[in-house]
Formats: sequence, structure tokens, C-alpha cells
Amino acid sequence: MNTTAEKNIILQVDRLKQYFPVKKDSIFKPKAYVKAVDDISFELFEGETLSIVGESGCGKSTTGRAILRLDEPTDGKVLYMGKNILTLNKKDMRKLRGDLQVIFQDPFASLNPRQMVKQILNEAMAIQNVVEKSKRKERMLELLGYVGLPPESLDRYPHEFSGGQRQRIGIARALAVNPKLIICDEAVSALDVSIQAQILNLLKKLQKQFKLTFLFISHDLSVVRHISDRVMVMYLGKVVEIAEKKEMFDSPLHPYTKALLSSIPVPDPTLKRDRVILKGDVPSPIDPPGGCRFHTRCPFAIEKCKQEEPPLRELVNNHFVSCHIAETLPV
Amino acid sequence: MKERNKPILEVKGLKTHFTTKRGVSKAVDGIDFTLHKGETLGIVGESGCGKSMTSLSILRLIPSPPGKIAGGSVLFKGRDLVTMPEDEMRKIRGNEISMIFQEPMTSLNPVIPVGEQIAEALRLHQKMGKKAAWDKSVEMLKMVGIPSPEKRAKQEPFQLSGGMRQRVMIAMALACTPEVLIADEPTTALDVTIQAQILELIKELQTKIGMGVIMITHDLGVVAETCDKVAVMYAGNIVEHASTEQIFADPKHPYTQGLLNSLPKIHEDQEELITIDGSVPSPYNMPAGCRFASRCPYAEDICAAHQPDLVSYSEDIKVRCWKYTDKWTGKRDKEGVV
Amino acid sequence: MLMFILRRILQTIPVIIGVTFVVFFIMQLVPGDPAVLLAGEGASKETIEAIREQLGLNQPLYIQYFEYLTNVFKGDLGVSLKNSQPVLDEILVRLPITIELAFFSIIITIVLGMAAGIISAVKPYSLTDVSVMLVALLGISLPSFWFGLMLMYFFSVKLQILPVAGWDSLLHVILPAITLGAGGAAIVARMTRSSMLEVIRQDYIRTARAKGLRERIIIYKHALRNALIPVITVVGLQFGALLGGTVLVESIFAINGLGRMIVDAIRMRDLPMVQGGVLFASLIFVVVNLFVDVFYRFFNKRIELN
Ligand SMILES: Nc1ncnc2c1ncn2[C@@H]1O[C@H](COP(=O)(O)OP(=O)(O)OP(=O)(O)O)[C@@H](O)[C@H]1O
Ligand SMILES: Nc1ncnc2c1ncn2[C@@H]1O[C@H](COP(=O)(O)OP(=O)(O)OP(=O)(O)O)[C@@H](O)[C@H]1O
Ligand code: SF4
Ligand code: SF4
Ligand SMILES: [Mg+2]
Ligand SMILES: [Mg+2]
Repeated sequence: MNTTAEKNIILQVDRLKQYFPVKKDSIFKPKAYVKAVDDISFELFEGETLSIVGESGCGKSTTGRAILRLDEPTDGKVLYMGKNILTLNKKDMRKLRGDLQVIFQDPFASLNPRQMVKQILNEAMAIQNVVEKSKRKERMLELLGYVGLPPESLDRYPHEFSGGQRQRIGIARALAVNPKLIICDEAVSALDVSIQAQILNLLKKLQKQFKLTFLFISHDLSVVRHISDRVMVMYLGKVVEIAEKKEMFDSPLHPYTKALLSSIPVPDPTLKRDRVILKGDVPSPIDPPGGCRFHTRCPFAIEKCKQEEPPLRELVNNHFVSCHIAETLPV
Repeated sequence: MKERNKPILEVKGLKTHFTTKRGVSKAVDGIDFTLHKGETLGIVGESGCGKSMTSLSILRLIPSPPGKIAGGSVLFKGRDLVTMPEDEMRKIRGNEISMIFQEPMTSLNPVIPVGEQIAEALRLHQKMGKKAAWDKSVEMLKMVGIPSPEKRAKQEPFQLSGGMRQRVMIAMALACTPEVLIADEPTTALDVTIQAQILELIKELQTKIGMGVIMITHDLGVVAETCDKVAVMYAGNIVEHASTEQIFADPKHPYTQGLLNSLPKIHEDQEELITIDGSVPSPYNMPAGCRFASRCPYAEDICAAHQPDLVSYSEDIKVRCWKYTDKWTGKRDKEGVV
Repeated sequence: MLMFILRRILQTIPVIIGVTFVVFFIMQLVPGDPAVLLAGEGASKETIEAIREQLGLNQPLYIQYFEYLTNVFKGDLGVSLKNSQPVLDEILVRLPITIELAFFSIIITIVLGMAAGIISAVKPYSLTDVSVMLVALLGISLPSFWFGLMLMYFFSVKLQILPVAGWDSLLHVILPAITLGAGGAAIVARMTRSSMLEVIRQDYIRTARAKGLRERIIIYKHALRNALIPVITVVGLQFGALLGGTVLVESIFAINGLGRMIVDAIRMRDLPMVQGGVLFASLIFVVVNLFVDVFYRFFNKRIELN
């Protein structure tokens, strides 16, 4: 968590857009799109953890998928160590896949139901050829130990595990190939707090040891607070705020971030807090509001907000926000 | 809701076992609890301890083979679901007892529009017409906070974000206004603002129709905000059962204490989170004594030798630990929690 | 989707040209001089030379091929050596018969195969399942000519409820269609079963159950659609095998279809007829594959994206 100046940029996302076509109601209407990610830019420094938070459907997973080219982005660039991965051919991309790993919320969907855990792990290692054949078994047991699963799990099929156990298999698989950058999409959300703590500690340890970089997508703000160096807030396909973690949690600038941070449930039944409950319906990314996208629900919106889109600007040191009147808002 | 209403669901000695090549896995091994009208019971516990299998057993949705309800009963308004004929059971599922499944990604049919997946239950149980059921399902999607619900209803699951899929599941479960809702990690994929909205919606239904809720979650914040009482599970057993205030203020069982300890603190920075050392025993090979003994900082000889029972500690606290019985010879305070 | 269909149609063009190429060279591969063959035994040198001239056999091969190609596109497949009738006319008489046979056979393959597969999958490892799968195994291993003859012996000769051979009424269709469709049905049944069993284990089937839906609706609405995706490919492959099988079945049951025509033509060394027959059979194959692909894509679109 030292200053950003001395860090290498490992991944740079430049004006990324991802639009998905929506079925038209009639052939006479113009083609509609879900603007899932609409012109966002940010960078990731080597060895850091950047978290993405934001309302459900705001484009977090889509951002992650676009970086991995699981969907083909509509526009923009993704530079990994200076190379634009969106233009790589299949072969080079496959080589890169070892460096870039992803852990999904529900890995069951991506775990082959006909493979036992040992086959799943073995295949991952074989494809990227990271561990010698003779050492693979040992490595598998080590990985299972990391994620707190017993050795006999190797001979079981994914459907024989509980939700949290499956998630840990997904984590073990991602770690198997010694990646450089891991995108964790709700990677610990199905885990109880003690296992979650164990995995978060592990991720932090590995990060220190191997200079791993994490792009961490999560709704659990206490986890985000624990693991991140920086936090990025998205709203309806746009980045609305980026800052160092402490700065973000202590003095959020964007009205949406403020509302978000105020609704964290606290594990203390005696505490009743004031929440900023957002009024108004969540606007749809199919037809996002003009100007500032948050203006339909923002308690501070002024006339200008409906007309003009606020740019992402650096208000305090390394603290970027996209709001016309951020500096005048009450703390 | 604090006044003790009629019990609506009584689970007694429920056991669910899986028979596989490697032996018998006792995923659920004797669970007892009672849910009253309008009440919310939280179930928390270590990943793999049998929370989902307990709830699937209630609706008899255990994959069988290899799974099987090996004993116990589940009384719903006085009738035993375990022995009920299949066609009567069907009238209860999705209508009187609904379930929100843990995996929103795989729990929706990939080739059927989500609106139809909600509407079909309405047509079946509420005898609604095609149009009425569709309109109602659009309305349900709106209620769970999905923007442009008319358009979204026509989309297939892969076109929705994770949180939207989870909300479709929730809309599906609430559509027929069930008397009991079993929610298995209902808000893991939701951001806190939507989560608050959904929990509010559930609460509303509870006051309106007296729905009883079983809330399975590892988010202790959600437990604190929504639950009246909490059952803590460990390795197929309930190890502690008490009111929510009680559990958070003064957890009795060493596992519960460890669990609360490993919470990341939202208002302070920790370099490393506290964990519970060791791991759960294999469900194929449960120890004879206390199942937490290998990880428990207090364990004594008796712990390894005999399994403690779930016994009343006070009027509304039950705990499964030798420490709180007169067989205990060791220290009684809670110093030295790791 | 439209783009895909268009692209797929364009892709068939080189395939069709390839087919004509192969068919043309069958002629070249046949031992002996085609002109001699055409003229018949004991014809004079002049006649042979005249035929050679007339057919352009003196020209270089590529020109011959080109001419053949233009003729094909004009619909001129030459004349039969046997009866001097245009080959195309003969094919157009025979083709509907074979298509009819293939149609009924594939219906049997699909309906019988899927039904058996579903019945098996609904109660796996039950007595019904085991017996159905045993029959399916037999269906795969039995040679179809033997199966056809047994059917004929049993139903036509012994019981005398179905005609022995020929192609006059719908009753005539039954035995050949069963003979031809049975092998495919067995394969489809096994595929359907394993695919259904896999789908039934999925979480979304559990969700459907949790809604209180009837087992029938769960099977037909929720499971089948997902389970059919791999089955469609198998059916497509079966269609190819089935076209090959028509040759045999038409011979056994004395049906005057395209397959039998080709066999007869080969026996009579009626080369233009062989060429025409093979060309048409290949075309059917290509077209069917096109349909299967488009169909599969349509079904699979969402799965792929998921
Ligand atoms: N098909 C199966 N065969 C054998 N064992 C199984 C099968 N399904 C589940 N189990 C076992 O049953 C136990 C309980 O699983 P369950 O899904 O109830 O856990 P859970 O408490 O819901 O955990 P989580 O919080 O991770 O979802 C686990 O140890 C799991 O491995
Ligand atoms: N394949 C797709 N086709 C059409 N629309 C899609 C597709 N994938 C995502 N979307 C849409 O893109 C938007 C952003 O989705 P995304 O999954 O990125 O959200 P998210 O921020 O990850 O939300 P959540 O927290 O709920 O997971 C949503 O409106 C979603 O419906
Ligand atoms: S720009 Fe206007 S509408 Fe947008 S967040 Fe700032 S004050 Fe609110
Ligand atoms: S019974 Fe013994 S081992 Fe088990 S929790 Fe109590 S003190 Fe610990
Ligand atoms: Mg997501
Ligand atoms: Mg579970």
C-alpha cells in the first residue's frame, strides 16, 4: 500500500465498452442494447488488490469477463503488460490464460460434472504445463490443504460437495497454474466466515509471496475493506469513484458510494443505524438516464446533472470521482 | 413476532445420509428445531456442515440415490412431510413451502425465459390464466428491484447478471406467497442496497401473511438484522440454539465463539483475520466424541470419548458441549479463546 | 442467425462441386475403356471411335470434367446404357421412394429412440430400464440384413399380416422402415438416456421439482429440451448411416428406390446411372447435414453463450 508512483502497471483497461443486443419488440424499432459496460478506464498495479463494488447488474462481472475475453468487448483496449490482449490470436491468448485466472461465484457451472476433483486439477496443470507430472499429486494435496479440503476430496465429483466446498475447488484450480493476475468474482461469497477468513489470509499470503495481483469483485464490503488496496465503485456501466481503500471508506465522495456504505448490515442485533435508502427505481442499462446516470436517484441532483455527464476527475490525491458537485456535498 | 405463535414447522431428529462407494456420509445427523408463524430462524455454520441438505430434506429434494432421509420427522402444520405421499407433497412444494436455492447460476433452466419460469408455478398453484400469470411474474420481478421487468422477463438466464438471477429465484419463491420460506444464502450475489430491499420485502410478507422463514446464511450481518433466533450447525449437528441477541452477546459453544471471532471487522483494519485452526472431521468418518474436539481450545478427555447432547442451558439457550454440564471438570470461564 | 444460415449455404457450394468431382472420376477409375463399355461387346472400331468422339472422350480430362459439370447444372446426367432413357428421369422416379423410406425410418429412429431413452432415464436401473437398454444393445449389434430377413420371415411368412416385398401401400413401408430405423433408434435411445440422466441431476431440475411441478412436465418441459441438444447431433449422424442402409434394405425388400437402382446399375455396369445415383445420394446427404447444423445451432445458441 505504498504510493502508486513506484508501481508497475500490470493491466490497463482503456475505454472499454461491452454492449449486448436485446430482443426488439418490433422490427420497426431501432436495435436496443444493454450497455453493460460503457466506456470505462482504470489500471491495476502489480501486486495490488483492486476491488470493484457496485449495484447488482452494474457491469462488474462483465468487466471481468471482458478482460479475460470470455465475451468479445464491443470497443476499447485491455493492455496486459503493455500488450493489447483483445487483438491477440487464439494461440497467444491460450498462453496468456495461465497468467490470468478467474474464480467465479458459482464454479459449479464451470466444473465439469464428469470429472473428479483430481482430474479437474490435473487438467488445469497439464494445459499450462506448470508442474512436472511426477509432482502433480503432491501439488494437488498442497492446494487442497490451502483451501481447507480433506485429501479424499480428490476422488469425488463436484456434485458431491456443498456450495462452499465447490467454491474452494474453483479457488484451488485457479491457484494450480501459478497465475499472475486473478479475477475473483464473488469468490468467497459462499463461504462461512471462518473459512472465508482462512481463504482471505491465504490470498494475502500468496500475494505477498508471489506478487499476485487481484481484481476482486464482491458485495461484501467488510471483505472488500479487508483485502483491498484500492476500491473502484461502478454504477450502471460507469466508474463513479476510485480511491485508496482507507480514503474510500473514511471519506466517500460520490453520493452513490455514500448510500452504499451506509447500508452495510452490521453483525450486531442491538445496533439500529441510519441508512441512506435510495429512492426511486433502479434505472435500466437498456435505457440509461442521460447526464449523470445517478441523477434519477441522487438526493443532491441539480439541473446540470440531467444535462451533462460528469467526468471522472481527481479531487484529492489519487481519489477520483465523477460528480459535478462532489466538493460541496455534506460529509 | 416475539410472542410465540403456533409452530408451523417442527423438525425432529432429522437424519440424511449419503451412501457412496466410500461409505456412508452423515451429512445431516439428528437435527431438531421448531419454526413458528411469522418467525425467522437463522441457520449458520461451517461450509459443508449440512445446512443445505437439511433444507432440501424438508422438501424431500435430496438427490436419491445416493441420498436418503434416514430418520426423523418434519411436521408441517401437524402433518409429517417425510412420509407424505408424493402427489400431496407436490401441492406443498412451491406453494406452501418454497425454497430459494444457494446457486443462482445453475438453479435456473438455461433455455426457458425467466418470466415463464416464475409464471409456471403461478399457473399451477394459483390456477392463474396465462396472461395473468405472466403479468404477475413481471410484477414480481419489479418487486425484487429488477429494472425494465417486461424486457427482462423475456430474457434467458445467461443474459442476466448474477444478482439478477438470484432475484429471479427470490421472485419465483415468493410468487405463491408461501407459508414457509427456506432461503439458502438468498443474498450472496446482491449488493447491500438491493439486499436491504429484498430483506425488507421478505419482512413485509412476514407481517402480512405470517410467513415463517428459515434463513441460511453465513452473513452474520444479515442474521443480526433479520433473525429472531439462530441455530448454529457443526458437522451435521446443531451445536447451539438461542435467540439472536443472545448468540451475538454471549455465544456459549466454542465453535460459535470462534465463528464470531473470525468476522472481518468493518470499522478496523486487521492484517490477518482470525481463523479456527484445524478442519472439520470427514462426514464419512465422524469421531465418537464431540465433533469439534480436534479444534476446540477447551477439549478435555470426556470430549473425545463421548458426544455431548444438545441440552438446555437456560430457558432459551440450548448448547451441545460438555462444558455446560455437571460432567465438566475443567475451567468454566471463557478465557483463552483463540 | 440469418447470417449463419447464409454462410452455411455458401459453404455447401464447394462441397457440392467436390462431390461432382469425385463422381466424375469414378468414371475414370473404372477399369477398361468407357467407350468400349458403352458400345458393348463386339462393337466395331468405328463405332467405338464415334462414341468416343460423341462423348468428348478424346479431350483432356479437365475439359471433360468441365463439360460434365455444365451438363449437370443443366440437368443433363446422360442416358442409361441399359434402356437409353435419360438418367435424370429414372432418378426422379426412384428418388421419392427412397425419400419416403428414409423419412419413415428416421421417424422411427427419432420417436422410438427418444421414447425408449426417456422411459429408461425416468427410472434408471429399474427393470424397464435394463430391458430397454438390453434391446437397444441388441439393436446396435445385430446386422440389419439379418434383422430385416427375420422381420420378413416372422411377420410376412409366418403371421402373414404384412406384405413380403414391394412398394404399393403404406403397409409395405412398415417392415423396411423398421429394419432401416432400428439401428439408429438404438443409438439414439442410449444417447437420450445418458443425456437425460445428466440433465436430471442438474440444479435447475431440482428447482423445477421445488415448484411442485408434475414429473411429466419436469421431464418434457425442463429436462428434455436441454437433453436433446447432444441427441440432435447423433440423429444427424444417423441420417448419413441411414442413407447408406437404404441400399441394403431396398435390395432385401425388393423396393425400386435409388439405392437399389445404384446397385443394379453397378451390376449392369451402367456407368451414367451410377454417376447420377451417387451424385443425388450425396446431394441429399449434404442438404440434410445443412439442416441438422442449422437446427443444432438454433438449439444450442444459448448454451454456447452461457
Ligand atoms: N451427493 C452427495 N454425495 C455425498 N456427499 C454429499 C453429497 N451432497 C452433499 N454431500 C455432503 O454433505 C455435506 C453437507 O452438505 P451441505 O450442502 O448441506 O452443506 P452446507 O452446510 O450447505 O455448506 P455450504 O455452506 O458450503 O453450502 C457435505 O459435507 C457434502 O460433502
Ligand atoms: N450475455 C449477455 N447477454 C445480454 N446481456 C448481458 C449478458 N451478460 C450480461 N448482460 C447484462 O449486462 C449487465 C451487467 O451485467 P454484469 O453481470 O456485469 O453485472 P454485475 O455487476 O456483475 O452484477 P451482479 O452483482 O448482479 O453480478 C446486466 O444488465 C446484464 O443483464
Ligand atoms: S453529478 Fe449530480 S446527480 Fe450525479 S451524483 Fe453528482 S450530484 Fe448526484
Ligand atoms: S464438548 Fe468439549 S470439545 Fe466439544 S465444544 Fe465442548 S469443550 Fe469443546
Ligand atoms: Mg456479477
Ligand atoms: Mg449450502
